[in-house]
Amino acid sequence: MRYALRLLIPRLALALITLLAVSLAVFWAVEWLPGDAATRILGQAATPERAQVLREKMHLDDPPLTRYLLWLGGFVRGDWGESLVAERPVLDLVLPRLRNTLILATLALILYVPLSLGLGVFTAVFRDRWFAAGLSALILAGTAMPEFVTGILLILVFAVALPWFPPLALIERVKSLPELVHTLALPTITLTIAMTAYAVRMMQGSLVSVLESDYVRMATLKGLPPVRVIQRHALPNALGPALRVTVLNVAWLIGGVVLVENVFNFPGIGQLLVDSIRVLDTAVVEAVAMITAGVYIGANLGADLAAGLLNPRLRAS
Amino acid sequence: MATTTTTLERRAIWPKSLLASLRLSSPVFLIATTLLVVHFLVALTGPFWAPYAATEMLVGKTYEPPSSRHLLGTDNFGRDIFSRVVLGERVVLSLALSSAFIAVVFGSAIGILLAYTLGWVDLLAMRAIEIIISIPPLILALLVLGALSPSYVLIVLTVAFFYIPRVATVIRAATLDVVTEDFVTIARLRGESAWSIGARELLPNVMISVFVEFSLRTGYAVLFIGGLSFLGFGAPPPSPEWGLMINEGRSYISAAPWAVLGPSLALASLVIAVSLFTEGLGERLGLSIRRERVG
Repeated sequence: MRYALRLLIPRLALALITLLAVSLAVFWAVEWLPGDAATRILGQAATPERAQVLREKMHLDDPPLTRYLLWLGGFVRGDWGESLVAERPVLDLVLPRLRNTLILATLALILYVPLSLGLGVFTAVFRDRWFAAGLSALILAGTAMPEFVTGILLILVFAVALPWFPPLALIERVKSLPELVHTLALPTITLTIAMTAYAVRMMQGSLVSVLESDYVRMATLKGLPPVRVIQRHALPNALGPALRVTVLNVAWLIGGVVLVENVFNFPGIGQLLVDSIRVLDTAVVEAVAMITAGVYIGANLGADLAAGLLNPRLRAS
Repeated sequence: MATTTTTLERRAIWPKSLLASLRLSSPVFLIATTLLVVHFLVALTGPFWAPYAATEMLVGKTYEPPSSRHLLGTDNFGRDIFSRVVLGERVVLSLALSSAFIAVVFGSAIGILLAYTLGWVDLLAMRAIEIIISIPPLILALLVLGALSPSYVLIVLTVAFFYIPRVATVIRAATLDVVTEDFVTIARLRGESAWSIGARELLPNVMISVFVEFSLRTGYAVLFIGGLSFLGFGAPPPSPEWGLMINEGRSYISAAPWAVLGPSLALASLVIAVSLFTEGLGERLGLSIRRERVG
């Protein structure tokens, strides 16, 4: 337990500092956004006097440091400000989007875990067969293809050429679970392909070395049927790297989901980020950036911890 | 005390011996290299043989399916897609290569410097680098490019900025192996300046890592810039950048799927070629590529 704490505390501290750095970077970048926020909000009704009053109310003329601290204080307390575009609290905008993205991510992960484990073991066990090269090539294509290209190609084949699935993931109109799965099928598959291909490639090295190790050879010589060999040796040894890779994939999801949501017009948090940056909706941008950065940093932290905990050799330090 | 006149062996690896050690034995590596060479040739010679200009809009010839005159058809503005893909190769490669080059030059310099200096400077710098690496690149890139209107130069600088700390980390690790060698100590005792040591003793020995990092970063840069352009934050229209083309073609995908198919396949083939090449390169030169998750 003490070892776990010794791993956790410094990393947690660093993660928090990083989050703070992100908040600074985001705030500073938003500072540069052209245009005056007050006139933008008032729109047609903007007169110099009204704009000045609004600016004072929003503290827009205060020095940047003051504004940053004000925002940070509010943010930590749960007050995320108001969206300039939608004129609603940012929290109201963000939560449904976050829910949507979590649904999509969960579906993808449900599909990805068994698929990656199965494929990983399969490619390791059958690495000497005639189809091994072709399979590797396919998996390589999965990693090398950018997710938005995969998504578009899936749309071309399964939504345009064969009208099996909807090209736009309109989740709001979904009324039942089967309908949900059908609507979200293509974006889920896109994400799953990217994550699985990466995971399988990462796992291959360790899996193959396990299968070629002496004790596995001993087990086969002992007369253990191949299935049992896989069950007792390949699978347990796959779990360690699989866990680490999965956490890294979760970290990747944050960035990858932005592109995939865009391809399928899915109303998730990734889309919100892009849209809010495009229209310079500062409060929303800051909030979403913090959330996504938080998940990214948290996932990387998790991966570090998993690696540290699972590898007894690292404990010697 | 007698002075030794033997020069200690330097494991310097210069580009010429680098090429010599590239045994093109694996068929996969051979295919990847060939594909890469094809891409390069298209980029270099494209403008000379592309049938149409990238922005040439042929009146009345919109949404034409592929034919002998238009190998990949035309888009919604009547522009020949095949020509745009060919001319876009130049844009995609030059953007990616420039970003990777700047990242590798500065990153290696920083990495070598930190590995040589060590001490608290190194400690502090590595903490700062860790923090920068932990920031999800897409978010910050979108912000920077959204705030200041995107241009080729801005894209290259932004992407390079994200890769410099990553390259620095890798090169620093590689240099740490070399710094403890005897010939470095002897050079320092000889009175060689830090710059000289860095350039003449350390750099040649980490050249392998530098080259592999360059190749790796180029691949990632193609993906990153393609994604940024796809979202509308990258190459400004009417650039024939492939990510941008895919985005533009999306809105009429059922009317003219070839507008999306052309750049998609070109992009996929380039990334696959670079990835396979990088892996093959790393394997041949004795390095294991740490596959980063591109976020």
